[in-house]
Amino acid sequence: MRFIIQVLVITILASIMELFLPWWSIALAAAVGGYLFSTGANFLAGFLSIVILWVITSITIDLTAGAALTEKVAAIFSTTKPVLFVITALIGGLVGGFAAMAGGALRKDRRRMKYY
Amino acid sequence: MNVTKFAICAVITVGLIVFLNNGWNIKGTPIPPLGKFLDPYHGFWQNIEKTDYKPGKQINFEGLQEPVTIVFDTLMIPHIFAKNDADLYKAQGYVTAMHRLWQMELQTHAAAGRLTEIMGNEVILNIDRANRRLGMGYGAKHVLDYMQENDTVRTMIESYTNGINAYINSLNYEHLPFEYKLLDYQPEQWTPLKCAQLLMNMAKTLNIFDKDIEMTNALRMFGKANVDLLYPDDEKVGDPIVDNTGKWNFPPLQPDTIPLAVPEELISMNRLTERDPTVGSNNWAVSGTKTATGSPILCNDPHLGLSLPSLWYVVQLNAPGVNAMGASLPGAPGIIIGYNDSIAWGMTNAQRDLVDWFKITYKDTLRNEYKFGDGWAKTEKVVEEFKMKGGSTFYDTVIYTRWGPVTYDDRFHAENNHRDYAFRWIAHDKSEEIMTFYKLNRAKNHAGYMKALNHFSSPAQNFVFASVSGDIAIRIQGKFPLRRPNEGRFVLDGSNPHHGWRTFIPAYQNASQKNPERGFVSSANQYPTDNTYPYYITATSFEAYRNRRINEILTKKNGVTVDDMMTLQSDNYNLKAAESVPVFLSYLDSTRFTPDERIAFDKLRKWDFFNDKDSEAASYYEAWWDALVPMIWDEMESETVTLDIPTAYTTIKLIREQPDLVFFDRVKTESKETAREVVQQSFSNGVANIKQWMENTEARQREEGLYGGPATGPAWGRFKGSYIGHLIPTLRPLSIPVNTGGNHDIVNAHSRTKGPSWRMIVSLEKSGVKGFGTYPGGQSGNPGSPHYSKLLDRWVEGKTFPLTFMKEPGEPGTYSTTTLNPE
Repeated sequence: MRFIIQVLVITILASIMELFLPWWSIALAAAVGGYLFSTGANFLAGFLSIVILWVITSITIDLTAGAALTEKVAAIFSTTKPVLFVITALIGGLVGGFAAMAGGALRKDRRRMKYY
Repeated sequence: MNVTKFAICAVITVGLIVFLNNGWNIKGTPIPPLGKFLDPYHGFWQNIEKTDYKPGKQINFEGLQEPVTIVFDTLMIPHIFAKNDADLYKAQGYVTAMHRLWQMELQTHAAAGRLTEIMGNEVILNIDRANRRLGMGYGAKHVLDYMQENDTVRTMIESYTNGINAYINSLNYEHLPFEYKLLDYQPEQWTPLKCAQLLMNMAKTLNIFDKDIEMTNALRMFGKANVDLLYPDDEKVGDPIVDNTGKWNFPPLQPDTIPLAVPEELISMNRLTERDPTVGSNNWAVSGTKTATGSPILCNDPHLGLSLPSLWYVVQLNAPGVNAMGASLPGAPGIIIGYNDSIAWGMTNAQRDLVDWFKITYKDTLRNEYKFGDGWAKTEKVVEEFKMKGGSTFYDTVIYTRWGPVTYDDRFHAENNHRDYAFRWIAHDKSEEIMTFYKLNRAKNHAGYMKALNHFSSPAQNFVFASVSGDIAIRIQGKFPLRRPNEGRFVLDGSNPHHGWRTFIPAYQNASQKNPERGFVSSANQYPTDNTYPYYITATSFEAYRNRRINEILTKKNGVTVDDMMTLQSDNYNLKAAESVPVFLSYLDSTRFTPDERIAFDKLRKWDFFNDKDSEAASYYEAWWDALVPMIWDEMESETVTLDIPTAYTTIKLIREQPDLVFFDRVKTESKETAREVVQQSFSNGVANIKQWMENTEARQREEGLYGGPATGPAWGRFKGSYIGHLIPTLRPLSIPVNTGGNHDIVNAHSRTKGPSWRMIVSLEKSGVKGFGTYPGGQSGNPGSPHYSKLLDRWVEGKTFPLTFMKEPGEPGTYSTTTLNPE
C-alpha cells in the first residue's frame, strides 16, 4: 500500500513539476517521493512512476497526433515505434529510480516513517 | 542516513542527468540529448500537433503600434490584416517564423557559410568555405547597404526582423522547432543581414552558373568550328520570349571591340557551381480575348529543387494601400510571386551569363599585388573564421581583387591547376530587389509593374504580368552588362583593364512586350529575343522543348479556363521524345534484339510520347536517353580537363543530321562508331538497366512499401522514384516519396528531386481576382504538424486549391483567428 502511494505521489509530483521545470525535474520528484515514503523498493518506485508518467503522456500525444512524427523519429533512430516508447520509458525510469533511491538514503531510520 | 548509499545514488542520478541532458557524437553519428529530447513534456513529443491544432488566440507583441488580426484558413495560410506597413511586416515576420523558423535560419547559415556551427565536419566545412569564397557574404553586405539607405525598405526589413525576433524570444525548449531539438542547437537573433543572405541564396540557386572554363577548354581542344557546332549561343528553336522583330526603337549602346585573349592552358577543376539544365520554370499570361470569362489568366510554376520544409510560404498581406496574396520566401518580407486586387505577376529565370572568371597574375608569392594594365594593383586579404560545432575554429584567407574574390587557389581545391581565377558575379553588386516586391505588391496597373521592375537587378527574371483592366505583358528584367560579341563565353584576362563590365544595358532597353497580337505572353527559359535585338546574349544554355509545347497549346486554344491551365501546367507531353524516338528507332537493327529489347522496342513504337506516371515506354525512353548521353559525349569525361556536354536539342539534331560526326566515335573502343552504333548500344544498356531495376528486389521492396503493391512493369512514376526530401538529406524518414509523371524538358518538369515548386493560376476577373495554387509541401515546416505536407496530394494530382483572398477578417474559409496585441 505504502509502495503504491509512493508511486502515485512521485507520478503526480513529477507531472506537476514538469509543467514548470525542465525534464530533469522528474529526479527531484522521485527524490522527494523516495525521502518521504522511503520503502524497501525505492528504486522500483521511482522507476515505475516515471515509466508510467512518460508512457501515458507520450501515448496520449501519439494517439491524438495529426502527423506521424513518432514513426519518423523512430526511423531516424533506426528503430521502430514500440522500441521508441521503450527507450523513452527506460530513460525516464532510470533517472527516476536512482533519484528515488538517493532520496530514500537520506532518511535516517525507516521506522520513523510509521506515523505517516 | 546512509551517506555512502546516498552519495552513490546521487552521483549516478546527476551523472545520468548530465549525460542525458547533452548531445554526443559517437563515431561521427550525432546523438541528441536523449533525456531532453525524449521527455514527453518538453522533448520532440511536444512538436506533435493534434489534428485540430489551432495557433494561439491572443499574443502580446512588444513594439506593435496597433492590433493586428491574423486569420488562418483551412490550409493554414495566414491572412494578415494590419493598420500600417510596419505592423504588417512585423506580423509577417512573426507568423513566418512561427511556421518556418528553423528553415529560414538554416538557409541563411548556408548562405553565410556558417553550417559548420550546426554540423561540424569536413564536408560541411568545404561547403561553407566555397560559399564564402564565392563572395556570398561580400554580396550580402552590398544588398544590406541598400536596405539601410532606403527608408521604405529599411522599415520593411527592420519590422520583419522584429517580428521574427518576437517569435524567437517567446520560445522555450518545449516549443523549439523539431530540428533544433534533434540537432541540439538554439536559434540566434534574426538580423537584417540575414534577409540579405537569403536573397543571395536565391541568386545562387538561379544565376551563379557559367561554363566559361569549359568553353575555354573546348575552344583549345576542338577549335572554333566545333565550338560553334556543339555549343551555339542560339539554337534557333521555337519562339523567343519577346519577338519584336525590326521594332526595337531605341539607340543601342555600342560596345568597343578588343580582341579576346584566351589563356593558353587547359583548365581542370571540380566545379562548385555546376549548372543544372533540369532546373527551369514556366510562366504565361493569356489575354481576355482567348479566355472563357473574357478576363486575363496568369500562370506560373517555378521549377526548383523540391524540399521539406518547402521553399515557399503562402500569405495574404492586407494594410492601407496593399492587399496582396501569393508565395513569399521565408526570410524576406513581401510577396514574391502572387497577385493583388488589380494585377498578378510571376517569374521564370532569365537565362543569361552574369558570371565571369578573370585570370590573376600575382607579382610574387606574397600575393599583395597583381598585374593590372602597365602596373600592379593591390589585393585585399579577408580572413574568414569558421566556428566548428564542438569548439574549434578554422581560418581561411580569401584574396579579393577589383574583379571579386579569388575562389580557388593553393589553399582551396588546390588539386586542380585552375588556381588564381577571380570570380565576378552580378549578385556581388548592390541591388534593390526588395523595393521591386514592395511596389509590385501595391501596383495597380501596367505602369506600376514597369516602375517596380526598374529596381530589379539580380537574379534576372522573366516577369509575366496581367491586370484586371485587361493588359498582359512580359519583361526580361535584370542588370545586364553590355557585352562584346563572345565576351563572357570564355575566361578573361584579369590584367587587362579593358576586360570586365564597363556599363550595363539601360533598364528601359531590356526586352519587354505588352498585349501582343497572338493573345498571350509566355516564357520557359528559352532564348529571350528575336535576332534583331541589338545586344549580344549568351548563357549556359537555353530551353528548347517546354516553351514550344506551351506556345503550341496556347496558340491553338480559345475559351481558356482555369481547368485548362491546370491541365497545361501538369502536361506530360515529351516533345524531346517525339522528336528523337522516330530517329532513334530507325537506327536500331531489329534483327539483333533480345526478347527484352523486343518488348521495349514495341512499347516505344506504340508510345504516345506522354511521360505519364503509368507509362512504361517513358521509362524505356528515359533509361535509353540516360545511357546515350554519356556514351556520345565521352570526349567530355576527361579527368584532367573540365568540359561541358552539349544540350539535348543539339545532341538530337546531330544524331539526326550528322550521324558520322567524329564525336559519335567512342573514345575507349578500337572500332569506329557512328550515331547508329551508339544509339543501338545505349538502347541495349537502357533496357538492361530497366531489367536490373526490376530484378533489384531490395529496391523493389523499398519502393513497394512506398507506393503500395508490387510493380508489374517499369511504370515511369516508380522508375523515376521521385521524392520530396527534407532540407537535411540524411534525415530520410522526414522525406516523402511521390509517384508522378513528367520530367525535365517537359512542361510538368518534375524530375526525380526537382520540379514545380509552386503552381499558381490567377483569373483576373472584374468581379474579383481569383487565385489558385499549391506546392509540394505544406504551410508548416514542423514534421509533427498535419500541415507539413497538406498541399502535397493535390500537387501530385496536378490540381490546385482555390485560394481564399479575403477583403476583411472573418470571411468564409476562416479556420482560426489570432490577434497580436501591442504590449
